[in-house]
Amino acid sequence: MKRKECFLMLFALILLLVFVSLSSFAAEYPKEKVIRIFVPYGAGGGSDISGRMLASAAQPLIDQRIDVICMPGAGGQEAINFVMDQPQDGYAFLLTDYGPLITTALTEKVGYDLSDWKAVFQITEVVPTFFVKADSPIKDVNDWIAKAKAEPNVFSVGHGRYLSVPHLPLILFEKLTGIQNKNVPTTGGSEALAFVLGGHVDIGASVPSTIGATVKAGQTRALAVCSEERVPSLPDTPTMKELGYDVVLPAWYTIFAYKDVPEDRIEFIQNKFIEALNTESAKSMAKNLNIFLTPYGSKKSQEIYNATIENLKTLLSELKK
Amino acid sequence: MDFIFSVLQEAFVPEVIMFAMLGVFLGVTVGAIPGLSGDMAIALLLPFVYKLGPVSALGMLIGIYKGSMFGGAISAISFGVPGTPAAVVTMEDGYPAKKNGYPKKAMLTALYSSVTGDFFSTLLLIFLALPLASVALQFGPVEFFALYVFALLMIAFLVQGGIKKGLAAAGIGLFIGCIGMDPVIGTTRLIFGVSRLRGGIPLIPLLVGVFAVSELIIQFAKEWYRSRLKKIKELSGLSKESGYDPSKDIMSFKVYLSTLKATLIGSVMGTFIGALPGAGSSLAAYVSYGAARQFSSHPEQFGKGILEGVAAPEAGNSATCGASIIPLLIFGIPGSATAALIGAALIMQGINPGPLVFQENTLIMFSFFVVILYASVMNLGIGYALIPLYAKIAMVKSRFLFPSVFLFALIGTYASRNSVTDVWILLVAGLLGALLKKGKFPLGPLVLAFIIGPGAEKALRQALLIGGGEWSVLLKSPIAIGFYAISVVSIILLIRFQKKLA
Repeated sequence: MKRKECFLMLFALILLLVFVSLSSFAAEYPKEKVIRIFVPYGAGGGSDISGRMLASAAQPLIDQRIDVICMPGAGGQEAINFVMDQPQDGYAFLLTDYGPLITTALTEKVGYDLSDWKAVFQITEVVPTFFVKADSPIKDVNDWIAKAKAEPNVFSVGHGRYLSVPHLPLILFEKLTGIQNKNVPTTGGSEALAFVLGGHVDIGASVPSTIGATVKAGQTRALAVCSEERVPSLPDTPTMKELGYDVVLPAWYTIFAYKDVPEDRIEFIQNKFIEALNTESAKSMAKNLNIFLTPYGSKKSQEIYNATIENLKTLLSELKK
Repeated sequence: MDFIFSVLQEAFVPEVIMFAMLGVFLGVTVGAIPGLSGDMAIALLLPFVYKLGPVSALGMLIGIYKGSMFGGAISAISFGVPGTPAAVVTMEDGYPAKKNGYPKKAMLTALYSSVTGDFFSTLLLIFLALPLASVALQFGPVEFFALYVFALLMIAFLVQGGIKKGLAAAGIGLFIGCIGMDPVIGTTRLIFGVSRLRGGIPLIPLLVGVFAVSELIIQFAKEWYRSRLKKIKELSGLSKESGYDPSKDIMSFKVYLSTLKATLIGSVMGTFIGALPGAGSSLAAYVSYGAARQFSSHPEQFGKGILEGVAAPEAGNSATCGASIIPLLIFGIPGSATAALIGAALIMQGINPGPLVFQENTLIMFSFFVVILYASVMNLGIGYALIPLYAKIAMVKSRFLFPSVFLFALIGTYASRNSVTDVWILLVAGLLGALLKKGKFPLGPLVLAFIIGPGAEKALRQALLIGGGEWSVLLKSPIAIGFYAISVVSIILLIRFQKKLA
């Protein structure tokens, strides 16, 4: 009796093994395992939220789970290194803005070359925006320049962290116009907003999603945005370019693959993601989240990535002078 | 009238009640597990919350927030391991109280003070949101620096057994806080070539390491030593079942009244500090503890298990829940990391926190307020029900308890940022904590200095940048001068008090 049971067990086990191996043999990308997107920031940040939105829109189309995993360690380098250590089979991606990936690589020693990364899909564009308190004496950008030229270093600008997405356009703007301001780093856009509202700094540099509600309520005024075209959520705010200053430095949240991920898999993912963000539910979700969707495929994202690298290289070498 | 009716109707839908209860339950549970915290649970639930209705979603998240603020006290009192960063101060007296044989009193004091503080700050949120928020905006770098100076002085109040060792521990904390990235010019410092440290030392591994892992190391060493001497007996240090007399450990309304002053001090401090963007619940707990000690009629019993020392920080950290939502709702500036996550959840629901939030979403916002209020009552009920369950865990034999706490510490630390580096930091911090404990250094000042050091540095440097390098800028704000004045008075009182003792 016991023997018989043993045989039965063994038989069942073999059957199971055969099924498992068969099914894994038959599975095609992306059916083999869960797709993971790594984010070099903490949970709840802009890149994390846009990643989760994309994941929830794309899962039903791919018929595979997509996990968004936050690894803020070592200033974001842990996420980058982790993706580099994964098999290059199209199951691990990096979702980031240019800060941890490009700025760090240009200012410190890192374990990768910028050309090792392939842009797969751009989710959104984040536009640096300059703003003041509603009752500020600074009327507009030209007024800011005129007053700052008359008396250098009279204005202070809260701009998020050093060399962050809103800080770099500020440096570029100061270089182009030759004006000087007191640059005050803050923990992020929220702190810059609080300091502007409390009158502790004169000008803030942040992004539309952070300041949009206060602009709408008439507590702050947006002076200019640093993108090619105006931002839908701030339709009355001119671009720096319109005003005659070539300060175009939008950031993006883009998904990257490392080195040898097969082209056909990148194409598959890119197509599914574009399809996902064009659904009505994704659009309404993005609208609620204040995410301005720019669902660009691999080719266009790569162009934007390369252009950003060139921009940052020039800007950072200017800064060193 | 119709409006009030529809608000109540919205707030008391069974679904909303259910999700709020689930939130409180989850909150108390993750709060009680060292390493896991409310903001982690909220972050993990964000994508699911999108699918709920706005009031249910907010009810659940606020429930987690409130529950976790109390939950942290359970492990702080039971094992001397703070379940959340905000519960570090609760441990100062909660754990000694448990060792003295009053686990139940300490727990219930923590619960009642938490709920009182939370309720108080929620009422203020509802009725005084606007005036409080405008005071919060007065806080710029100059004022923040003064607040931090005041908080650093609270170290002096926390020091047990010798100011010298306390200051030394605070110095170590400040040093650890400097590791990582310079807050102004972005270069790395003190990382000794280890690029994994370039982001700085994260709070959770340091905290769990210094308090929990160090205790495990010490107890393990003791056990090992004893087994070598072939004297394997029950550990006496942590579980004092033998001397426990339940008849003396009864919580009554009288006991609650005796801690009421401390609770109220904590509630006021917590509400105020919670409303300041970025100050956080740990700072609120420290300041509440220091203030309660200063105004107490038995300051000498602080640190030895006095219930006031449990009540003040618990009321303080819980009072930040309601208050930290004030700047979020009025200006879209979150008062804490958890409030930031709740802000993200609001945005996902199509509600933009900011000046227009009440005009655009009147019904939802007022229903949300009702839910915040009754979530406090749920916290009381669920906390009360869970205490015996979770406190029993504290009575488990140490050879089962220690490995499981260690496992939780490892998993919780790893899960908080998915980082192996953090696990190493946890272990190193554990060794450091064990060495310091052996040398009888107090650990509270170390952690406090670690938490507020970087904030103080950033505020100082911001203030100097704005002031064009003139130090006099620090005295240009009446609020800042007020803080310096209170600090000076505190020092004088402290010196007098010590003379009295001597």
